[in-house]
Amino acid sequence: MFERLLRLIASRWFRLVLVVFIVLSLQTTLFSEVRPFGYAIQLVAIFVASAGSVHDVRTGAIVGLVSGLMFDAVLATPLGISALVLGAVGAGAALMLRSFRDPPWWLRLLAVSVAAACGELLMPLTQAVVGQGGWLGLRVISAMSVTFIGALLIASLFIPVTRWTLREKVLLGN
Amino acid sequence: MAKNRTNLTRAIALLGLASVFFITLDLSDSAVTSRMRRVFGTVFSPIENVSRVVTRPLSGAWTAFREYDDVVDENDRLKEEVALQEGAAVAAAASVRLAQELLALNGLPTLAGINSVTAQVIGETPTNYSQIVEINQGSSSGIKVGMPVLNAAGLIGKVTEVFGDRALVMLISDPDYALSVKVVTKSSRTPITLPPLPTEDAPTVDSVLETNDTSSTSSSTSTTTTIFGFTPSATTVPADVVAGAGSKINVPLAGQLAVRETGILEGRGPGTRPIVRFLDATTRAAAIEVGAPVVSSGGSRSLAPPDVVIGVVSRVIERLGTAGPILEIDLVADLSNLSFLRILLYQPITEAGR
Repeated sequence: MFERLLRLIASRWFRLVLVVFIVLSLQTTLFSEVRPFGYAIQLVAIFVASAGSVHDVRTGAIVGLVSGLMFDAVLATPLGISALVLGAVGAGAALMLRSFRDPPWWLRLLAVSVAAACGELLMPLTQAVVGQGGWLGLRVISAMSVTFIGALLIASLFIPVTRWTLREKVLLGN
Repeated sequence: MAKNRTNLTRAIALLGLASVFFITLDLSDSAVTSRMRRVFGTVFSPIENVSRVVTRPLSGAWTAFREYDDVVDENDRLKEEVALQEGAAVAAAASVRLAQELLALNGLPTLAGINSVTAQVIGETPTNYSQIVEINQGSSSGIKVGMPVLNAAGLIGKVTEVFGDRALVMLISDPDYALSVKVVTKSSRTPITLPPLPTEDAPTVDSVLETNDTSSTSSSTSTTTTIFGFTPSATTVPADVVAGAGSKINVPLAGQLAVRETGILEGRGPGTRPIVRFLDATTRAAAIEVGAPVVSSGGSRSLAPPDVVIGVVSRVIERLGTAGPILEIDLVADLSNLSFLRILLYQPITEAGR
């Protein structure tokens, strides 16, 4: 029992939840106030895209799903919307780099930025699908641009963090 | 290769199904999702608070860097404005008090009779696609979902999510926000002016109270049952009501009284003025003036009590055919700079039990 608990705590998914907590808290505090040109940089989307860019599509999608559910629990939007969007962001970032065996750093950065920016487009689209329309407009382009540039600056910090977070670890000699 | 493709398809299908499952669950107002949010909120709250404390210097530096010049300009402008408004405010306060007493005298509900809680804004929306702020009061202060939220200027939104010691407020500019409102327009007819009453014929405080005594008592009881938390205040006639004996009395014609057009106010996102739609199709755009005040209409199914100030008409867009005009509204409250808010402890019937 105790060993199983230790295994759970040491698993990469548990580590992911803890790290997402920190990223989420930064998103809801610092990055909800620091708004370049009036738009919030989507830190969680950048984190998920970074995870997708250093791992495979499945991992990217699951990281997106977990982070999105946690983000939805904080927001007042229907539970599952951010999960769907961020899942697509994570999987998208991984898909973009799928054909490269060892992509150069700048390509990884670009893939993260493009995927995170696409998330900003997917969010109002998904909201419109579930009946929360009214957000699709020119401001989406501005929001995408801000997140794209934000991702170019921040992703280089997140890539090693996600690599560490999702690293497989052998525990107790197994 | 084929195995990889199967894995990928499976992952994407799983993601889609899980998300759709949660969305369906949440949109059907499931108690499970509410409980999940509450538990998550309890776990996340201390982490968020620590993060807020740690990042405060950074966000403060950003605000100082970005807004210093604007703040200095605004301060100068506000000083002038305050000087101009001081006189008007005294007169307005007297009018408001008089109106409230008249409403109470007639057993009609007023905002003064509804209890409220003061809260501070502690967080803004972390996304670009919602207009929500977080406040530092929650269910422990009596706040419930649906309660209207005001600042010193007027209505700013409604409570959408409540936790133990915090709550989320959807701003009036959110496209999901809708509220029934009335637009108070003027009439062009001139009032009839009657000659002054002789002093001995003028009504006294006692006579007014005697005449209205029975009706005000019975109607105040029915008002209390209609609106939760409303208790009519003491009904005393101020001296200046009867002090007009001997002066000219303006008797307005029925058509000279303000006309109220009702419609639905809808938010349209940040930086865009909300609009009022579904005005009566027979309403001519010319009948509504730019600058006409817009207040909540009230009513048993309304999200806010009557006569909460919202804004003024800034533009009237006439439409052809049977569609009534659309009004663009300038909100009186500055939604970009919210600090202290007042939550009216008035829960609409439509939100009861949440």
